Amino acid sequence: MFPTAIEKTSKLTQTTYKAALPIAVLLWLLPLFAVALTSVRSIEDLNRGNFWGWPTSLNFVQNYTEVFTRSPMALFMLNSVIITLFAVAGTLILSCMAGYALAKYHFRGNLVLFSIFIAGNFVPFQILMIPVRTIMIDWIPLYDTVWALVLFHTAFQTGFCTLFMRNFIKQMPDALIEAARIEGITELKIFWHVVLPLVRPALAALAVLEFTFIWNDYFWSLVLVQSDEARPVTAGLQALKGQWLASWQLISAGSLIAAIPPVLIFFLMQRHFIAGLTLGATKE
Amino acid sequence: MAEVSLQNVRKSFGAVDVIKGVDLQVNDGEFCVFVGPSGCGKSTLLRMIAGLEEISSGELKIGGKDMTKVPPSNRGVAMVFQSYALYPHMSVEENIGFGLKMAKVPKADIEARVAYASKMLQLDTLRQRKPGQLSGGQRQRVAIGRAIVREPGVFLFDEPLSNLDAALRVQMRTELSQLHQDLKSTMIYVTHDQIEAMTMADKIVVLSAGLIEQVGSPLELYHRPKNLFVAQFIGSPKMNVVPAKVAAVSGDIAHVSVDGGSMLALPLRGGKVSVGDVVSLGIRPEHMSVSSEGVMQATVKLAERLGSETMLHLSGPGGAAIIVRSDGLASEKPGDVVALTMPAGCCHLFDAAGIAIVNGALI
Ligand SMILES: Nc1ncnc2c1ncn2[C@@H]1O[C@H](COP(=O)(O)OP(=O)(O)OP(=O)(O)O)[C@@H](O)[C@H]1O
Ligand SMILES: [Mg+2]
Repeated sequence: MFPTAIEKTSKLTQTTYKAALPIAVLLWLLPLFAVALTSVRSIEDLNRGNFWGWPTSLNFVQNYTEVFTRSPMALFMLNSVIITLFAVAGTLILSCMAGYALAKYHFRGNLVLFSIFIAGNFVPFQILMIPVRTIMIDWIPLYDTVWALVLFHTAFQTGFCTLFMRNFIKQMPDALIEAARIEGITELKIFWHVVLPLVRPALAALAVLEFTFIWNDYFWSLVLVQSDEARPVTAGLQALKGQWLASWQLISAGSLIAAIPPVLIFFLMQRHFIAGLTLGATKE
Repeated sequence: MAEVSLQNVRKSFGAVDVIKGVDLQVNDGEFCVFVGPSGCGKSTLLRMIAGLEEISSGELKIGGKDMTKVPPSNRGVAMVFQSYALYPHMSVEENIGFGLKMAKVPKADIEARVAYASKMLQLDTLRQRKPGQLSGGQRQRVAIGRAIVREPGVFLFDEPLSNLDAALRVQMRTELSQLHQDLKSTMIYVTHDQIEAMTMADKIVVLSAGLIEQVGSPLELYHRPKNLFVAQFIGSPKMNVVPAKVAAVSGDIAHVSVDGGSMLALPLRGGKVSVGDVVSLGIRPEHMSVSSEGVMQATVKLAERLGSETMLHLSGPGGAAIIVRSDGLASEKPGDVVALTMPAGCCHLFDAAGIAIVNGALI
């Protein structure tokens, strides 16, 4: 087995490991901790250059309220929620169906189509900036609405997700589907009652991943949206910059608020990561 | 009434011909077993009957109706897969009743049928379990239960017992035979296993390279094989085959000289040979015996003592490998030179092309 289980290594390695682990975790969390501290500082603290020391006063309530009063933060959050939920749902539905078709149906051009899905993942998204913007302005008039982002994220993320789902479903034994087919179950019902329940762990993993990707997107929020009405929270944070002085305490507070949903989703979906659901379906 | 008939059925995957023209009639209520070497097309033929593989050409009828192009669900067949193919997220009773539920059969009806099947297969106490919590034999029973509740005209089995251990296989074999007697449905069963084929079948179909070699009852195939392939495929250990030559023909008796041995007088019973023909002489291990004077001499290479019997592996004239089934307490040991008898009524003669000229006179 590689890597060797830590219990089986030498004493020295074990000790080093046990000492290094907390340090690594601390280093990892340090920036987050600094942001958290900054989010409760007063502006005077920052002006005085107290970036790393203990805050002179704890302005928790004041700062976090100000985030919502100084900018349309609630609106940004709502936009983000709409964009992310619709885009994740669209992506999962499309990729699950496409993945199933690519994995289990033999049709002409199957492999070519699958290759296109894979190739799409290698396109650096920056080169799509101008064309996508043009499309959204001239052809599909969604520019500067949340739906522009929903549509784009759905289209772009479906490539990766289809690759993922196709490979996952490919491992499912054909006999399961054939057994259902002989029993006279229609193709749609097979998809719904046999395939979907079995890909749930994969769907849950993808949902968390995609939620984080789409929620955290900054680039496309800048490219496809101009007005506050459609702006998601990542791009919205800049409204907290302050006019003359950078209000780091507010930006920090806003960032933490913006980071809550992905974290929540992770813990929420965790119980769906049930491995080995297909165990016992067929002979090993 | 669900007889199955195939007429000149063919299947090719691209340029590869896998089934090369099969004609077969399986009668209603018959237990028909497909056997043949690996890759000969048994599964493919079964899947064509099920409707999982398209029939490239030819005609398939089930219960007298043309089913060549009918989708699997409308053929009135149920299939049990080698891998069981149970739905892992459903309990035993959900697995069994799933097809009925999807077909919108009334709840009470489903419950009754599931109860009947689980009782028949001794699954009553396991109905709430998931497939992952069952043993191999129990999973296999669930798969069979799923087939039973649909009350199909034809059951199709693709090596259903091959993943079970020997003891369980014996038990399931008798259970399946019992099931066939109870249900009286047509069953088509693919197997690798000699014993399964011999014990369960009303009719055995021997396939080789996409063609039927012979169809018949187990004893018919065992005692009256049409060719060398069937003769050597059915039976374990294999039929012994030694090269021989026709030395003389007098009326209905052929005098055959075994290479390196003496002369053997075989009744032809209608078979045609002429003097000088090169033939193969076949005889089953249990029909040969060791005695003081026999047709040929052979050296014992190995004595497999199975308790109830001893398999003597011998090297005959010209090094021909011969197996003799002998008594459990046979005294021969490796190195002994013995004489072998070959009763004329047990001998088969095959011509140079491997086609049977004469089969033994046992049945
Ligand atoms: N989808 C396919 N495409 C191409 N060739 C196939 C396909 N399925 C089966 N074959 C070929 O058809 C032949 C018969 O296969 P089949 O599975 O029917 O054999 P089998 O008699 O069931 O063998 P086994 O006893 O090993 O199960 C094999 O040579 C196999 O390679
Ligand atoms: Mg097979």
